[in-house]
Amino acid sequence: MKKLLSVLLAVLMVFALVGCSNNNSSEGGEAAPASDAEDVAVFWYNHTDAYLSSVRSAMTDAFESAGVSYYHYDANTDQATQTDQIRTAIAKGVKVLVVNQVEASNDDVTKTILDAAAEANLPVVFFNRSVSESVVTSYANTAYVGTDYTQAGHMEGQMVGDYVLANYDTVDLNGDGVISYVMFKGQEGNLEADARTQYGVEDADAILTAAGKPALAFYDENNSDKYLLDLNGAWSAAAANDYMETILSQYNEANGNMIELVIANNDDMAQGAVASLKNHGYNDPSQGQVVVPVFGVDAMDFAVALINEGSMTGTVKQDAVGMADAVKTIAVNFMNGAGAFDGINSAYELEGTWRVNIPYSAYNG
Amino acid sequence: MKKKFDKKQILDLLLNNAMYIIIALLVIYVAIKRPKFLGLASIVNIISLTASKLPMALGIAGCIVLAGTDISAGKIVGLSACITASLLTTVYKIFPSMTAPLPIPVVLLIILCVGGFIGLVNGFCVAQFDLHPYIVTLSTQLIVYGLILMYMMLGTNNGMALSGMTDSYKKLVTGSLFKIGTVSIPMYVLYAACFVAIMWVVWNKTTFGKNMFAVGSNKVAAEVSGVNVKKTIMMVFTLAGMMYAITGFIDAARVGSANATTGLNYESDAISACVIGGVSFVGGTGKISGVIIGVLLLQVIFAGLNFLSVNANLIYIVKGLIILIACAIDMRKYLTKK
Repeated sequence: MKKLLSVLLAVLMVFALVGCSNNNSSEGGEAAPASDAEDVAVFWYNHTDAYLSSVRSAMTDAFESAGVSYYHYDANTDQATQTDQIRTAIAKGVKVLVVNQVEASNDDVTKTILDAAAEANLPVVFFNRSVSESVVTSYANTAYVGTDYTQAGHMEGQMVGDYVLANYDTVDLNGDGVISYVMFKGQEGNLEADARTQYGVEDADAILTAAGKPALAFYDENNSDKYLLDLNGAWSAAAANDYMETILSQYNEANGNMIELVIANNDDMAQGAVASLKNHGYNDPSQGQVVVPVFGVDAMDFAVALINEGSMTGTVKQDAVGMADAVKTIAVNFMNGAGAFDGINSAYELEGTWRVNIPYSAYNG
Repeated sequence: MKKKFDKKQILDLLLNNAMYIIIALLVIYVAIKRPKFLGLASIVNIISLTASKLPMALGIAGCIVLAGTDISAGKIVGLSACITASLLTTVYKIFPSMTAPLPIPVVLLIILCVGGFIGLVNGFCVAQFDLHPYIVTLSTQLIVYGLILMYMMLGTNNGMALSGMTDSYKKLVTGSLFKIGTVSIPMYVLYAACFVAIMWVVWNKTTFGKNMFAVGSNKVAAEVSGVNVKKTIMMVFTLAGMMYAITGFIDAARVGSANATTGLNYESDAISACVIGGVSFVGGTGKISGVIIGVLLLQVIFAGLNFLSVNANLIYIVKGLIILIACAIDMRKYLTKK
């Protein structure tokens, strides 16, 4: 009897919770009436991703102002979950599928999704996580909104090169003529992480050597990878922080081999490095401390704040609002039977008939 | 005959202290290759890394002594870090109506209540419904994850990482305890030491601690001899939840930010550390000193392989092997008993 009561109570609690969240649709972002299928189903690869969360709220606003009903699904980094969610949404009777494919660049997955959509004659808008041109163009009513994933890496590298060249002697703390750097990589097997790790240094080196300076030198000459990796693949501040603490115990000004430059795949990792540098009496210009230049990507609010106070040097902005706006425009076009790219903001770069690229921009205060 | 006996004794001695020997060998090897590994700065770094991971391992160790586990730990750390970072901040993004950060003791109380409550829920379900802790904490892990995601979307934050913590809070955690030469020891090392002392007393000198070991080794026997088994289980999980909350409190300041992935996979490191330190999954055995050794060994591996410039992929393999060896040695004790 007692057990039955507790089970009943538990069930009641769940219903109460569900009831609460329904009244509160703006927070969770779910605005679909339960009785009727929403117009647009959006499939996110992971709700924890900070950048995608900002795209999500921008997209919520965009759909709401366009009077389009929508529903956000979270695949929690699992492709199987996402594929099931897509089939469920098709069965439910939505009009457009918007997909942030979990396994980026996996053609079989893209085909599975597109086959399922084609059966129900539904248009699909992929975004953010890349899909192949050959697959997308072989289906009707399909488009991709992305970024040129190498562009962030190139921009970061260029920013690093320009900054180091302009401030060579201040950056070169031990005055040996060579800048020793550390690179933090967010994840293995991720195209963006690979590109940022590669071009973040290559492009900077190109600028430096063209001006007659030596190329950047990885702080640890025995490390053939020339980067340090977040072992959880989470691009996290904590991983960069643990590494930086360990590095600074061996490489510091007292030993004459201080790290002179930090390049990170994203702002979270850059911020973890800044926190560690601050612990060791660096990167607080308001206290007159030496600033080791730290570069990130994403232009998160906290990174912009750090750059404005002088503790961080630069970041690359990925335009969340632009991406959400492009997705909304294409989805609405598909719903109205118009051409996919009709009336799209001219600042975005059209690539062929299948793809829109949202440009990055550099931010250094 | 006598000689053979000696050999066996030596072998036993070696095996029983295998973890200490492995640590010593690793340290010696790294130190020969990179003498700076035994420099002051490096030792302080390893101690600090160990201290930051200790409270969580101390909490989870209790659950393992009960022959259970707790896989919701990392998410509780994450939730606590997010709550702390949202309240002890100068940019009020989660609660835009805030005008000043809350007093630190209030925030501590809040996260201790939140962590303790989730722990209590874990313990209640384990004790009351006789469910396996793995299933219970798997469920609460998901629930807490959902709560973190919802929490991070509150106010004007939109799921962004939380940063801009107040100076008084950062100072309290990462400020300098004292300096040896130019190397300063952060405050959280002191806190970790305090928690070690508290947990040592709890485990060894209190009725609750003795009951915990009794329940861990044999629930039925403990029940018969008058131990309140349900209450003990609930208390162990509640205490563990509080320790995770404190880990989150320290981590947010140490790392300088908190987001929805904070705490990801932390439990696997904490559980590994306990197992390496001889807190057995069989239940009813374990020592505080073992937990410390376990956490220390993992950090020595992390820092040591880093000093040796070893490829990151190898770290997974080394960790895996160490855990496997530790468990095998641990089980050997039980096999010989039989």
